[in-house]
Order: sequence, then structure tokens, then C-alpha cells
Amino acid sequence: MKRTAQAAIAVMTAAGMTLAMSACSTPAAEETTGPLTVWVMGDSGTNFEKLVAGSGIAVDVVAIPWDSIDEKLTTAVASGSGPDILQIGLSKLRTFADAGALLPLDDEIANHPALDPANFPAGISGTATSVGGQIVSIPWTSDTRVLFTRTDILAANGIDSPPATWDELRADAKILAARGDGQYGYYIPQWDAPLPIEMTWSMGGDVIDANGNVNFDTPAFQKAVDLYTGLYADGSVPVNGDFDQTQGFISGVAPMLVSGPYLGKGVADSAPELDGKWQASPLPAGDGGSISLFAGSNLGVWYNTDQKEASLALLDYISQPEQQLAWYDMTGELPTVSTALEDATLNSDPNVKVYTDQLATAKVLPLVSNWDGAVGTELLNALNAIALTGADRKASLDTLYSKTAGLSIN
Amino acid sequence: MRNRLTPYLFVSPAMLLLITFGIFPIFVAAVISTTNMNISAFANWNNVKFIGVDNYTKLFADPDFWQAIGNTGLFAVFGVPAIVLLSLGVALLLNHSRSWFFRALRAFYFIPAITAIVAISLVWGYLYNTQFGLLNYLLSLVGVPQVQWLSDPTLAKFSVALVAVWRGTGLNIIIFLAALQGVPKEYLEAASIDGAGEWKKTFSIVIPLLRFAIFFVSVTTTISWLQFFDEPFVLTDGGPLGATTSASIFLYKEGFRLNQFGYASAGSIVLFAIIAVITLIQLRLRRADDDY
Amino acid sequence: MTTDRTHARRRRTLTVTIGVALGIGALITAFPFLWMLGTAFKPQRESVTFPPTIVPQAPTLEWFNTLFTELDFGRYLINTVLVVLIGFVGLLLMAMAGYAFAKFDFRGRKWMFFLVLATMMIPIQVTMIPTYLILNGMKLTNTLVGIALPTLVSGFSIFLFRQFMTTIPTEMLEAARLDGAGEFRTFWQIVLPMSKPILAVQVVLTFISGWNSFLWPLIIASDQKLYTLSVGLALLNQQLAVNPSLQMAAASVMVIPILIVFIVFQRYVIQGFALSGLK
Repeated sequence: MKRTAQAAIAVMTAAGMTLAMSACSTPAAEETTGPLTVWVMGDSGTNFEKLVAGSGIAVDVVAIPWDSIDEKLTTAVASGSGPDILQIGLSKLRTFADAGALLPLDDEIANHPALDPANFPAGISGTATSVGGQIVSIPWTSDTRVLFTRTDILAANGIDSPPATWDELRADAKILAARGDGQYGYYIPQWDAPLPIEMTWSMGGDVIDANGNVNFDTPAFQKAVDLYTGLYADGSVPVNGDFDQTQGFISGVAPMLVSGPYLGKGVADSAPELDGKWQASPLPAGDGGSISLFAGSNLGVWYNTDQKEASLALLDYISQPEQQLAWYDMTGELPTVSTALEDATLNSDPNVKVYTDQLATAKVLPLVSNWDGAVGTELLNALNAIALTGADRKASLDTLYSKTAGLSIN
Repeated sequence: MRNRLTPYLFVSPAMLLLITFGIFPIFVAAVISTTNMNISAFANWNNVKFIGVDNYTKLFADPDFWQAIGNTGLFAVFGVPAIVLLSLGVALLLNHSRSWFFRALRAFYFIPAITAIVAISLVWGYLYNTQFGLLNYLLSLVGVPQVQWLSDPTLAKFSVALVAVWRGTGLNIIIFLAALQGVPKEYLEAASIDGAGEWKKTFSIVIPLLRFAIFFVSVTTTISWLQFFDEPFVLTDGGPLGATTSASIFLYKEGFRLNQFGYASAGSIVLFAIIAVITLIQLRLRRADDDY
Repeated sequence: MTTDRTHARRRRTLTVTIGVALGIGALITAFPFLWMLGTAFKPQRESVTFPPTIVPQAPTLEWFNTLFTELDFGRYLINTVLVVLIGFVGLLLMAMAGYAFAKFDFRGRKWMFFLVLATMMIPIQVTMIPTYLILNGMKLTNTLVGIALPTLVSGFSIFLFRQFMTTIPTEMLEAARLDGAGEFRTFWQIVLPMSKPILAVQVVLTFISGWNSFLWPLIIASDQKLYTLSVGLALLNQQLAVNPSLQMAAASVMVIPILIVFIVFQRYVIQGFALSGLK
């Protein structure tokens, strides 16, 4: 017995040591002709591999879990050793460009006409997403926010068409919430920081003043706060933070909500029996029109990649309209290239038509360094404190003003 | 040949690793805490400036930091006794009999301790879900309305702490069970002959003999509550409205979400100091107890 | 006589009562785990129905199949096992250190042991970036060793080894030395075999921490081929389109092997803690 235990330890140790050594002797492939390392967020990576299979460029796709993007990017920036190409959300773009993690692409575009900003909607290309006057990323997928409604439930409650303005939405939500206990009219995700911004834009205002500074102290934002907190005050929205929007929509508990194309896909996939009983329509309008969010993600080239040409060639490849449409077929994520967005087959789906129309006027979030952490969190804290815990409106907003003072897009 | 170097040969590999990955980083953090370092430092190190104790003054004036410290204190004050008493109680009961049934039960109580935090977040996330969660469904059967396990600021504290208690007892139960094996049978038999009941034996013989185990478990449990991170991180991300933001979560957010490395380092030095002071006080109390 | 019999009967009743109470407690404690297992076998529609079902109505093995065929869980499993194996090297290093602290008197012993205890108090968030930079400087990023190195030794485990090894009689070591055994041979042939119980404890602890490792595999691996099970599981947590059944199946794959290790080792584990002077 003693012997076996000892032998077992010896074997385990030996195995561990051999492993340690063999692993030491084979560091990561750093040679300049190897496959490109591409970091994609969340997805298992297989779709991306499929997409680029026809490009003739070998890739190693690494999927990063959504919840861990910050650790992964920060440590990569800190060490300078990153991938060759990475997917980057617009809200993180400024932070990582400031850290010098992204290669400026202005000089490369001449050789890669597919990457020309003119090929993309103005809302996300060229100056709209350049940092410090330099283009550091290429738009990759687009995403916007539109209104989803359960037309069957609306009709049953005497509402003929989806609300076209926020005022109508608020009134309709009240009617729908009156259906009974545990029934709501609308759903506000408590983590959705862009929603109050979309509301502000729709009210005809902005959260950036003429000098490029973040400024929430405006009449349009006040109207957005009225709307946001008013929906809660009416009892029209669920107050629990873990409300599942897809299930809520399918079950009819929350028959109206503002969300992205992924919601449409989720409903179509998991509840095909609801076909024809729901629809997407433009984001409700305020005094300023129906102005939605241009979200989505871009692709950037890591600043010290040793395979710049191959990386650019890959970006060029996936910026071709055919590849962008192929990606939509695989994942349901919308293209960014204008010709792909205008594609007739794509727009034959009435819901997709709503998305692409909405994108035409949509805007990106201000490129403030660390928007999510510095502005988004504070904004949600203030609004949710008012709406959920009955905190004093003026005091909460004053805290928001002072916490975001001094931030700017310059 | 007795070589003076022998003990050093034995300790050095482990010490080298501990110093490199455990001790050295705290000095790095101490240095960083006196600078304004943020993510732009990696683009150009000239962006880093020495700012003395500014981070510390700012930290002590930051209400969010105090909220995080307050939450951590609250978690520790309720969490430490909960884990120690619960695991001691279960261990005493499990030790009551040597039958196969009691032995088999041990594995059940150990399951939470060995489950990966990622798995825990999934399972408990579904249990706690307000609309579709099993807990609310079971409560609805007895007519209790929907409970907002993770959305109500007060209740969320309780909910994340409950998961931590659930997860924290397993290993401590094992430690107590082991310590119970060290209680001499003769003592208990002698007490039985004197007519002492189960309660009396437990409280006047067994528990005093477990003093060191109780102390050990209390110290390690206190440290782990002061570093409380995993459960709120995966279940609530510190919300709602900062109600479950522990000191570690606060540091994490400053460091990795806001990339304020100088500020976060100052916070971590303060947290480290708090943990060290509390642990030293516990050790002192223990020594005083021994003298007595 | 009669009092003896009532006494025995009373004791029997007490044991049964305690047994029932513990049984209920065990079921409650293990419930999330059992529910996880149940959900892993449910079709996706069933896993999101309300009211929830506890026992799967239409059990399926689909998700386990998906994990190992469509997703790369086979590879993650191998990586995880390798990380655990490397962890056992750390186990040996910690045993050596614990032995030196327990059985040798040397200059610097006190403050070194103090450092060991101090590492237990340092929050992980402090060490993350410096540690990463060190590993990067050593060119260990994107290797399994780099993944295992930061957690290879722990103050807690060295402390336990020391506690246990102080109980080994010094005379036995002296006898071995008189027979001409070298110091390392004494350690290997006398100390380690006598430390079997504490080794069992440490094997389980090392197994748990290696098996569940998440942070370092995530940060150190710049290649998905080095991901471990925990990271693979986190990848299934998509922002919106979640599949609870698939996630639970993956979580089950993670928990069951470790449960088996514990059941096999549990007798030694309890013995190990018992003998390390934790009473």
C-alpha cells in the first residue's frame, strides 16, 4: 500500500514535469507566416472559421467569454502581446485606441478599397468612429434598436398598430399592464445604458455639448428621464432586474420592448408558433424623430502584429458584401457594408427592412474614453435609483452631472 | 553529511514561487498606488506621474468605496458565524453515528465546495430567477407572491451571501469532522458513566477540545469573507445599485472596467491592510486565550 | 436494567432523528446539483418551461453529444487534466517546504513562514496584472505551465503540511540519516510515506483548484486550444440566446469527476485533517 502510494506520487510528479518541459519548449507560434490569431467575442468561433475558410488565409480563432472581455483585453494591452485581429465593441473602442492597442489604418485604406469608409454608412465609418483623427477599426457587424410588439395582444386590447411615438407607447403600455397581476406593457432592461440615450436623441437632444463635453443637464434629457421613470411610475414595466426579455415577450407578459435583431431571431427560433403575431417597427419618435442606436462591433488590427498584410487582406475579404451576407445567414448579425445592407434579398424580410431603415438615421454612442464604466454605469445608477428605490430625482441627477463632468470626446 | 543548505533547498522552490506570485505583486501595487497610472500608460510610459498619496485621499472621500467596505463588513459579520456554526453543527451531527448512512451523507454536504463557480452561477441564477425560477415557483404553490431574490437591494445581499455560505461549509465540515476524530473516546465514556447527556457531553467536552479547529476555521473564513468576490461577481455583478459590491468587486471594477490602476492599487493596499490587521487581532486573542 | 434499555431506546430514537434531519439537510444542500443534472437531460423547450419540471419528462443525451462533437469539450477536458497534473508538481514542492518548516531550524525560518501566512491575506485582484506581466516576461504566456504556475503553491497548503509534519517523530529521521540516507532520500522514503493522510487532503485540494481553474487559463491562453472546462463553460453563457440544458450538461461534465475523486479519497481526507493537529 505504501509502495503504491509512493509510486503513484512519483508517476504524477514525473508526468507533471515532463508536461512542464514539453510545454516550455513549444511556445506560441510567433513566426510571421503562421495562421492569424483572431479574437472574437462570445461566439464559439466555429462560425468565423467557416466564414473565412474561402479566403485562403489560415486563422486561429479564439472565442472570449462575454463576461471576461475586460480582463483579457487589459492583460493583453499591458503585455503588448495580443492577437493579430480582434473584434471590439464600439463602447470599448476609444479605451483601447487610447491605450495604443489598435493599429491606425488610414494609410492602408488606399491599398484595400473594400475598407474605404465610403463603403459604410456615415454613422459608423470615417470620422464617426475615428479616435484622435485616425481610423483604428473597420465596421464589421451592425446592430440597432427597434420596437418589438406582440400585435396579437395589442389588437386584443384595442390597439391597432404599434405605437409610433413615445407618448403613444406610454399610454399603450398602461393599457396593457392593466390586463392583470404580473402582466406588463413594456420592458426596460435595467442594464441597458443606451436606452436613455436613445430616448434623449429622440427628444431632439444630445448628451454631448457643442464643445464635445458630456452634458446631461439639458431639457431633452429631462424629458427622457420623465419618460423612463414615468414608465415605472405607471406600473407598466417589471421591476425585477433578472426579467428574461425573450421569455417575457414569448409568454406575452411584456408584449412591447425595444431590443435588437437578436431578439427577433430568438423569438423566431424558439417560438415559431408565434409567426405573424409579432413584428418589429421603428423606434418610437419624440420631438426629434426616431433616432436609434448604431451598435455592433468593429474589427481592429493589433498594433504590433507581425502579419499586417495578411490581417488587412482578411479584413478586406470579410468586408466584401457577399461575405457580409453570408455572415448574416449564419448568425443573424446584420452587415455593415452599405451595398450589403441594401441587398434586395436581405430586405425582403419585413423585419430586416425595419432594421436597415432604422440604421440609416442611427447614431453611435459618444466615443468617450471608457463610456460603459464612466458614463453608462452612472447613468443607470441614477435612473434606476429614482425609478426603483424612489431616490430623490434632483439629488440623483446632480450626482450624475458631477460624476460625468469633465468627460469629453476630445 | 548534515548540510546547512538542506532546509534552504527544501523551501526555496516553493518560496520562490510564493514570493514571485504572492508577495512581489503587493509591492508592485504599493508603488503603482502612488501614481496616476491608467491604461494609457501602456501606450506611453510618460503618461504615468507620481502623485503621492492623492489616490488614498480620493479613496477615503469616495462614497462608493465606503459602501463597498460597509458591505464587506456586513457580509463578514453575518457570514463568518453562519459558516462556522453551520459547519460545526453539521459536523457534530454527522459524527453522531458511524453507520454507512452517515458516512454516505458526507459527500452530499461536500458537493457545493467542489462545484466550479461558473457552474454555481448558472444553477443559482436559474433558481433565483424572479419569473421562471424554481424558488419562486415553490413559494407560489403556498401563495407567496414573487420574491425579487437578486433585484431587491436588501434581499440581494442575503441571496448572494446564502450561496457563499452554501459553498463555504463543505470544506469546513470536513475539517471539523477530522478534528472530532481527535476527541478521545475515554473522555466521553467517562462522562457517560457520570450520567452526562448528549448535550452536556457536546458542550462541556467536545467543543472545548475543538478550540483550535474552531479558531483555524474562523480565521480562514474571515479572510475569505473579506476577499468576498466570486458569488456577487457572477450573480449580480455587484448590483443592484451597488448593494452587493464588496471591496474586492469595487477594486476589480476600478482596475479592469475603468482601468484606473493607480486608484485600484491604493484600494487593494487598504484592503490588504484591513485583512492583515483583523487576522493579527484574531491571532492575539487566541494567544490571550491560551494564556488563560 | 430497565433504565439501560430505555437509555438504549432513547439513544436509538436520537440517532434516527438526527439521521432524518441530516438526510433532509443533505438533500437541500445537494438540490442545486441534482437539479443541474436533471436539466442536463431535458430538451431545450422543457428547460425553460414554467412551471419548471424537476425530473426530465423526455430525457435526451443530445447535449452531451453536442459538447463533445460540435464543441471542443474533449480538448478542454484534456487540458484540464493536464493542468491538474502540473498542479501535483506544486504539491511536491509544498510538501518539501512544509517539511523544512517543520523539521529544520534555520536562519530566516520565522520570517519566511510569516511570508507564507501573509500570502493567504492578499486579494487576487492585486496580483493579477503583475503576475501576468511576470509570466509574459518569462515567455510563459500561451503555455499550460503559465496557466498552472500562479496557483502552483499556496500558503494554506504549506501551512497544513507543516502542521502535519511536525508530528513525525524526529528520531525516525535521525535513524535514516545514521543509515547513510541522503536528505532527499529521507524525505522521499520516510517523510512522504508517513504523510499519506495529509497528501490525500492535498490531492483533493489540488484537484479541486486545478479542475476549476478559470481566471489564468482565460488570461494566459491566447489560443483556444489551451482553454479549460471552466472557460469552455463560460463561453456557453451568451448574452441573450442561452440554452440552459446545454449549459447544465457542461456543468455536470465538470462536477462529476471531482465528486468521484472526493468519494474515493474522503476517508483519507478526514484522517489527514485529523492528524495534522487540527483539534
